[in-house]
Amino acid sequence: MEVVKKEFWQFPSDLNVLDRVLSSFEGLNQPFIPQMAWLQCQLALAEAFTNAVRHAHHHLPSDTKIDIEITIYNEALEIRVWDCGEPFDLEARINNLVEDVNAELEGGRGLPILSQVADELTYRRTSDNRNCLLLVKHYQPEMKS
Amino acid sequence: MLFPILTQLQKMSSVVKIIEPSGILDKVNVDPLRKKIINEVENGADIVLIDLKNVTFMDSSGLAGLVLALKTVRAGGSQMYICCLNNPVKTLFDITNMNRVFQIYTSRKEFDQFLFSTQ
Repeated sequence: MEVVKKEFWQFPSDLNVLDRVLSSFEGLNQPFIPQMAWLQCQLALAEAFTNAVRHAHHHLPSDTKIDIEITIYNEALEIRVWDCGEPFDLEARINNLVEDVNAELEGGRGLPILSQVADELTYRRTSDNRNCLLLVKHYQPEMKS
Repeated sequence: MLFPILTQLQKMSSVVKIIEPSGILDKVNVDPLRKKIINEVENGADIVLIDLKNVTFMDSSGLAGLVLALKTVRAGGSQMYICCLNNPVKTLFDITNMNRVFQIYTSRKEFDQFLFSTQ
């Protein structure tokens, strides 16, 4: 697959920079990406970022960096988010959530959103002792006249 | 005989309050909105409409705050409606199935028509 666009950003662990995360992402939008897929990825990115701030970096200083990499192909988009938190079995957590969709209306909708949007979703420990969330979304490219 | 008529009119018309939040609705700024909504109900609003036309983006924490507000409003015997969702916000409501929990109007005009038909 040929990479159409790839960008890497670093943000502090601060919920107040969510608007900067979103506008950076918006800058990558391509005319061939279907709007629904794009909006779902934007939402998933926001959830992945705030999840890292609120959970993975909960006990870490707010200047702890969260790394984000977006890779756009003709027929897919990949979101990678690295955090410096403890190891955590997010995939097991998501599988449990899927079985119990209506568990809580008020909270914890971030992970179900990630699993709904993703065609592939992994959360793995890296060799430098961080966690990397990878979300892959496939789509049919649209021809724009 | 004017008073009974007036009382009747008051019974028929509900107190409607409209709140227009703006910007990003997330963990950081949904709490002030939730307090504002509950405040309106405590001050006698029968119906609270949250007009989201100026909300550019909402995440699951923002949505969670609205769900909490909805529960509180309904528990107090009032109603809460939302309208004017942009595409990013609509995406969130669709993906979480919250479009079935909230009563949503596409425009203020559609909400006004609903209101008029119930009065």
